[in-house]
Amino acid sequence: MRTYIIRRLLQAIPTLIGISILVFAITRLAPGDPVRLYTFGALQITEEDIQGLREHYGLDKSLPEQYVNWLTLAVQGDFGKSLQYNRPALPLLLERLPATLQLALVALVLQLAIGIPLGVVAALKRGTWIDNFIRVFAVAGHAIPTFWIGLLFIIIFAVGLRWLPSQGILTVGKDVWDIPDRISHIIMPAFVLALGGIANYSRYLRTETLDVIAQDYIRTAHAKGLRERSVVYVHALRNALIPMVTALGPLLAVLIGGSLVIEQVFTWPGVGQFTYAAARSKDYPVIMAGVMVASTLLVVSYLIRDIAYVVVDPRIKVR
Amino acid sequence: MKTGLWRAVVVAGALSLVAAACAPAATPAATAAPAATAAPKATAERPQPGGRIVVGSFVDIQRLNPSTSNDTGSSNVSGKIYDSLIFADPKTAEIKPWLGTWKTSADGLTFDWQIDAKANWSDGKPITGNDFLARVKMQARSKVTPNKSVFNDVEGYQDYSTGKATAISGIKVDSADPRKFSVKFTRVFCPAMTSVFGSAPMPDHVFGKYTVDADPTKNVDDAPENNNPPVSSGPFKFKEWRKGDQTILVKNESYFKGAPLIDELVYKVVADTNVLAAQLKTGELSVGKITATDLAGFESETRLKIYKWQANSYTYIGWRGNNPNVAYLQDKRVRQALAYGIDMAAVVKSVLLGEGVKMIQHHPNVSWAASPEAGLNAYNYDKTKAEDLLKQAGFAKGSDGIYAKDGKPLRITIVTNQGNKLRETFLQVATEQYKQIGVQINPKVEAFESLVPKLTGGSPEIEAVIIGWSLSVDPDPFTIWHSSNVASPQKAGNNFVGYANPAADKLIEAGRNGPDCSQAARQKVYQEMNKVLNEDQPYMFGYSPREIMIADGRIQGIAPGTFNLEGLWNVAEWWIKK
Repeated sequence: MRTYIIRRLLQAIPTLIGISILVFAITRLAPGDPVRLYTFGALQITEEDIQGLREHYGLDKSLPEQYVNWLTLAVQGDFGKSLQYNRPALPLLLERLPATLQLALVALVLQLAIGIPLGVVAALKRGTWIDNFIRVFAVAGHAIPTFWIGLLFIIIFAVGLRWLPSQGILTVGKDVWDIPDRISHIIMPAFVLALGGIANYSRYLRTETLDVIAQDYIRTAHAKGLRERSVVYVHALRNALIPMVTALGPLLAVLIGGSLVIEQVFTWPGVGQFTYAAARSKDYPVIMAGVMVASTLLVVSYLIRDIAYVVVDPRIKVR
Repeated sequence: MKTGLWRAVVVAGALSLVAAACAPAATPAATAAPAATAAPKATAERPQPGGRIVVGSFVDIQRLNPSTSNDTGSSNVSGKIYDSLIFADPKTAEIKPWLGTWKTSADGLTFDWQIDAKANWSDGKPITGNDFLARVKMQARSKVTPNKSVFNDVEGYQDYSTGKATAISGIKVDSADPRKFSVKFTRVFCPAMTSVFGSAPMPDHVFGKYTVDADPTKNVDDAPENNNPPVSSGPFKFKEWRKGDQTILVKNESYFKGAPLIDELVYKVVADTNVLAAQLKTGELSVGKITATDLAGFESETRLKIYKWQANSYTYIGWRGNNPNVAYLQDKRVRQALAYGIDMAAVVKSVLLGEGVKMIQHHPNVSWAASPEAGLNAYNYDKTKAEDLLKQAGFAKGSDGIYAKDGKPLRITIVTNQGNKLRETFLQVATEQYKQIGVQINPKVEAFESLVPKLTGGSPEIEAVIIGWSLSVDPDPFTIWHSSNVASPQKAGNNFVGYANPAADKLIEAGRNGPDCSQAARQKVYQEMNKVLNEDQPYMFGYSPREIMIADGRIQGIAPGTFNLEGLWNVAEWWIKK
């Protein structure tokens, strides 16, 4: 098992390098010049000033040279300085990561807490209007763009009913540890972020549960005279949930990726919003750091999933 | 740098985008004496102290040290923390004494300053000439500031900047009375009043140590105090920056013009105009700027108050006179025809919903530099005149209804920045209307971040552009209209259209380098310059919008003016009626 993990970690290195080359090339070759953009409007700027800034940020070198320089420093944890903020890119991102993780975790909990019961209920009430309703909900939850739902929720629950704050992470003037205030802020974005997953889970669970309740041991359980509830929760659901465990790892990464849009809509001060703004201003170091952090999370979460497979399902063996 | 700036005008939903990329347009010294103007006119109510103002902003702050920052969001905030020597009147653009008073020498080269005896940093230390010197020095040695060259005309500055000299010979602080100092220039530079002296003094006792006279590699760029200012000279003190979310300022009790009435001023980041509008309605924000298209939703909100004022900015169609692909744009008659050929009244109505005016010169008519409109050609919509001018220029209408000359049809690509709905609508209307006078427009949108380098780099792809200028308090149009700033691949410039007219050059130089820098003398040359531009029509000057600000109806004392983009210049005297 240990050698397996080490091997997988080693395999991740070329993957990450590949991603970095790709993103580096895409950002640099796309039209636009960060120094010109950043100095646009500066009244008395001279060509020497522009050249000086280019040199300062290492943008005067050839692209391969720039990449090698970047890589050399990046492996040491130095992703370069943001042009906009004039601060190292990685700490800038990391100080926004807690907000994103918060949102992703709450969304994850909501997905499980809502998605799983919906799926089970749909399976048990198969063919009824409840099942149909849940299935329509699942398709809709998937098909409707989240930013649109986000805006709709803001109009209904914030502007119309005034139940929830429309934006941000905390009311102005409130202490950062004001938990009720934080909860009121996180509900809407987390729920909207969770919608896709809820839809997914309910469909997945429905299929799994249907599979499981057709198994012999469920019939046996029924035959033993066990109560319906005990059959469903102890025998059926537990078995139906096994494959779900393995889906959790990548899910977190997907949630963090998905929060990019949600963070925009709800002005959530996380990594997504920040990286998006950096991309628009061609702040290369921040874009690279953002992509590398997200890629690393994804690679690690896939690794965790694969390990979880082995742990949960004894039929799979590590070779 | 805080003044003397042009930045692309932000008119629509693309606010954050443009603002993030552009320079601040705030006036220097964004405050005025509470005692002087605070009392409401008719009802002499007693201002009630206390409370909090929450301002909606599309961008988070980036750098709170004004010597290294170039973005509006940061300047708006740092402008409340650091006051300038001068104050630009937001209604008239007149430059008035603020932290200091000055005397100019007869040759216009030396300025003797005296800083107000009451002016102290919030920790009690006096504000002196050394603080202004510290500002100039930190900017000279910074490796990241886009505004290094602001002080280039100060004697000895460039040698200090490169490390050739260990002192700036042109700035002398009186050792007996450090509140007295003098600044000597190597040439007369009229906009210096706002660009040089609009640069706020920075606390020498905080930042001075980062700039080492004898070592040009040392600089302020990474000073931790940059984003956590410990002392303030302005009406507010820095309290906290919650990254990506809000910046919290508290009143400076020892402010030399008297402490602000409100306790806290908070800048809160919001995603876009939809969100801003929603939060103003829910009361989460107390004040925010919107565009005309969002105005309809507010007229029924009795709790809120709408403020409108003429912007110091305009959106135009720039005709590229130096692009061989569209050589016919070199002909003044063609450009004039294009000016007659568009119904700007209809554009203002459809694009701005009436919240703006047609522009026929470079400066908005509220500026003292603007030429009286009566003496200019208004280019009122006239299709016949437009077509006549095209015919005079040697064009004939082809069978497809498009004018052509020497087999070359009048076909122009106009590009504007993506996501700016107002400009996109303007482009649509222009395309339709120009078709009616036999000119074919090929409309194109492009992301702001890739469009800007093409404009400033004189890319041959650009034939015409719809974009805007947000003008500074000082009317100097040098970077936009002087022939030395024509954008080219070799030398970037803001003269995107390649305008080069010796007569205009001469006038621009006189307005910039004097020798007479008085407002009266400069007014004369700029009015003349505007006449030349009005005749030449290098731009179809487009429209100037009205700034629209929504505020909680309980807030008293709001008094916006054209020469303060943010509208918060006197927030220190605002108060909230209970």
